[in-house]
Amino acid sequence: CVLHCWSLFVLLLMCLDLHTLVESAPICAHGHTGCHSPTLSDLFDRVIQHSARMHGLSSDLHSDFEQYFLPSRNQIGRINRKCHTAYILTPNGKENAQRLAREELTEVILKLLAAWRDPLSQFHRSMARHEDFTSISGNKALEMSDMVHQLKNGVEKVAEKMQLLGMISNSLMSLSSTEALAPHSASSEARSMSDYELLYCFRRDSNKVQNYLKILKCRIVAEHGC
Amino acid sequence: MVVRYVAILHLQTVFLLGIETLAVLGHAPTSEAPRQGPHFTSCLSREQETFRCWWSTGSFQNLSQPGALRVFFLKENSISRNWTECPDYTRSVPNECFFNKTYTSIWTSYCVQLRSGAQNVTYDERCFSVENIVHPDPPIGLNWTLLNVSRSGLHFDIMARWEPPPSADVKTGWMTLVYEVHYRERNSSRWEVLDLEIGTQQSIFGLHTNKEYEVRVRCKMRTFRNFGDFSESIFVHVSQIPSKESTFPVTLVFIFGAIAVAILLILVIFSQQQRLMVILLPPVPAPKIKGIDPELLKKGKLDELSSILSSHPIYKPEMFHEDPWVEFIELDLDGMEAGEKMGCSDTQRLLGVGAQLGSSHGLGVKDDDSGRASCYEPELPEADPDTLAAICLAQHEKGATSLLPQSNLSATTAGGTPPDPDPAPIRDPIPCPTHRPESRPLVQTQLSTHSWINMDFYAQVSDVTPTGGVMLSPSQQSRVTEKIPVEKKEGQDAQVPEKENVGEQQKKAEGKKRFQLLIVTPEEGAYTSEVDAQKVSSGYSHEKSCEDSIPQTIQPPAKKISQEACQQLGGPTGDYQSPYLLPPPIPVPPVSDYTVVQDVDAQHSLLLNPTTTVTATPAPTPTPTLTKPSPAMAVGYLSPDLLGNLPL
Repeated sequence: CVLHCWSLFVLLLMCLDLHTLVESAPICAHGHTGCHSPTLSDLFDRVIQHSARMHGLSSDLHSDFEQYFLPSRNQIGRINRKCHTAYILTPNGKENAQRLAREELTEVILKLLAAWRDPLSQFHRSMARHEDFTSISGNKALEMSDMVHQLKNGVEKVAEKMQLLGMISNSLMSLSSTEALAPHSASSEARSMSDYELLYCFRRDSNKVQNYLKILKCRIVAEHGC
Repeated sequence: MVVRYVAILHLQTVFLLGIETLAVLGHAPTSEAPRQGPHFTSCLSREQETFRCWWSTGSFQNLSQPGALRVFFLKENSISRNWTECPDYTRSVPNECFFNKTYTSIWTSYCVQLRSGAQNVTYDERCFSVENIVHPDPPIGLNWTLLNVSRSGLHFDIMARWEPPPSADVKTGWMTLVYEVHYRERNSSRWEVLDLEIGTQQSIFGLHTNKEYEVRVRCKMRTFRNFGDFSESIFVHVSQIPSKESTFPVTLVFIFGAIAVAILLILVIFSQQQRLMVILLPPVPAPKIKGIDPELLKKGKLDELSSILSSHPIYKPEMFHEDPWVEFIELDLDGMEAGEKMGCSDTQRLLGVGAQLGSSHGLGVKDDDSGRASCYEPELPEADPDTLAAICLAQHEKGATSLLPQSNLSATTAGGTPPDPDPAPIRDPIPCPTHRPESRPLVQTQLSTHSWINMDFYAQVSDVTPTGGVMLSPSQQSRVTEKIPVEKKEGQDAQVPEKENVGEQQKKAEGKKRFQLLIVTPEEGAYTSEVDAQKVSSGYSHEKSCEDSIPQTIQPPAKKISQEACQQLGGPTGDYQSPYLLPPPIPVPPVSDYTVVQDVDAQHSLLLNPTTTVTATPAPTPTPTLTKPSPAMAVGYLSPDLLGNLPL
């Protein structure tokens, strides 16, 4: 029994570590009884962890890409073409992000996540066609595209929770509207991007999402030091 | 592959286009700074909120005055695609351009250019994104605490703690830092690098006491590559506590314990070598002939032979056969008479006959059963066993009515069983088939009554096979005496069925007759005792041999029959054992029963009782003689030389 219990415990830990998703735990809406409703702080923590992992994946992929496909990396930084998410106005600094309204910040996050779902799946498909890329990178790409989707759902749930708690106004646009606002050119732009550009842009945007979530949490949960 | 090349090409094209749009002057910027010309040395940010750029004038010394070089920058998504000059040329530090928060945009690409004062020459250009040039400040407040010291006092563990750099805003999570701890011995040149640590503490294990260590830490942003500077090193030193008294004896104890255990093991192994060998490598039982291992006979392991024979299933009815001993004793006189009548030769006669007959390897008595005992071993090199065998045969011949008294062995063999070329160890040259228990008593009694010489000639028959073979047992002399009463009883039992058919009586007689057989030599050992040899050579009269063999309980007609039986070859009834007839497969050293070997010469010949007189008559001293231990009896064969020295 000890062995079984220990193995189960380890398995549980692993599961918890890997799936720090909001949807993995039942979130009770409207205070339903019988289910343990996680606090907003917990939700934020999960989401932040998830975004950190996503950003780590994108960074790894980007460095792999650079290493294998662009060995002659010169010292001059690149000014790439605009990313397809350039239409989304994002705060470019800490203070800017802190000054932005919570709803807007949440909206920005959601927009970013929504804009990357299709390009990433496209990227994964194109990755599979590349013979040079290892299967590990292919797995990373697949995981990344899944993560974006899951993270978006998680952030939506956080937003719902925040609305529930009255922390943000209900003026938050719905999901469909956020996607609808995306200009059509963005999708076409995404399709025309190369893999490297795509990775570069996503690395940047995932970093944005991570930092925005942290700032948002700091503002909403109001921990000391924020 | 094609896609990849296309992508690279596209990228380069984009880059060139971007540079073109940025370059106001239309000069294509060189990736490499001109040799020793003014160039940017580095651009970095410390907290991801501001950044600085430094440049050097290179070898162009005439540009060192302020204002000679100017920096312009361009942001990626700036509305106006104009190069803007550096917002703040740091006064305190030469050749530094500082971009404050308002001018710093994260997640945007910057390009900075180093131009000449007149903006007509662009010496250098760099493009970057601020988050990629972040080099955090070193952590502060590095110190250590002792975790524990090993029991031996030679090692210790510490916990190093530090604080994140104050410039990095980790509280809000704007920067996520990971730390890397290095440590080394004071005089070593190589740093030990520990894994990246997200927390602000790190434990260091396995440090040696009495050694000074240097510890430092640095950090970087997670998921980015640029490490910041190292913190100030701290020095760790723990002096060893002199607690040798606790460790020293323990070490000694362990060492001595190990040595003692090793010695014990060696002793055990050496003392129990044999047993261990048996346990580890159990001896493979050699193919055994049914009966006794001839090797035993050769080497004279009488005790083993006795034990083997006694444990042999054939010999189980020994007890039963011991009864005839008693009977035999009682029938002594009758046996003697019968023997005379039958003409069974005494030892002397046997000897004489044997001398005439000479060796006869071909004495092939009907050897259809394994119980037969032969007086000789066909493979015996020596002549003595053969003579004895001849004697045996002759004995039978003497007693055989159908056979010529002095018929040669061949006739005997003809009358009886065909010569048995088969080197069955023991053959019964005398075609006396019966293996009656009564024969036993005859033999045994003879052994007891007559001189122990007779004993030498005869081996105790321990069993009689159904086919009439006699199986002899290498009973000790002492055992022979023991058997006497038992045999008597057996003999009495044999007497009971007086109404038995003649055949049985014949068998009995034959069995008894067998007692007259000179030895039952072992199958391969082919022992003959000195006594037997003596008999042969000296012509000792064995007048009584056959007579004695006749059980007294047998009726006179039976005696005759027994005479005949004595001559007949091959005994049908094979249930009884003639103590003097060895079963062919059972090598029995009759010598071992009845002769005391005093010495063994170099040729492995037996020297039997050299002190006793050769002409000692077979007085009733056999009993004591029988009881004499016969230790080294079965050492070897008698050589002709020794015949003369027989203690008879």
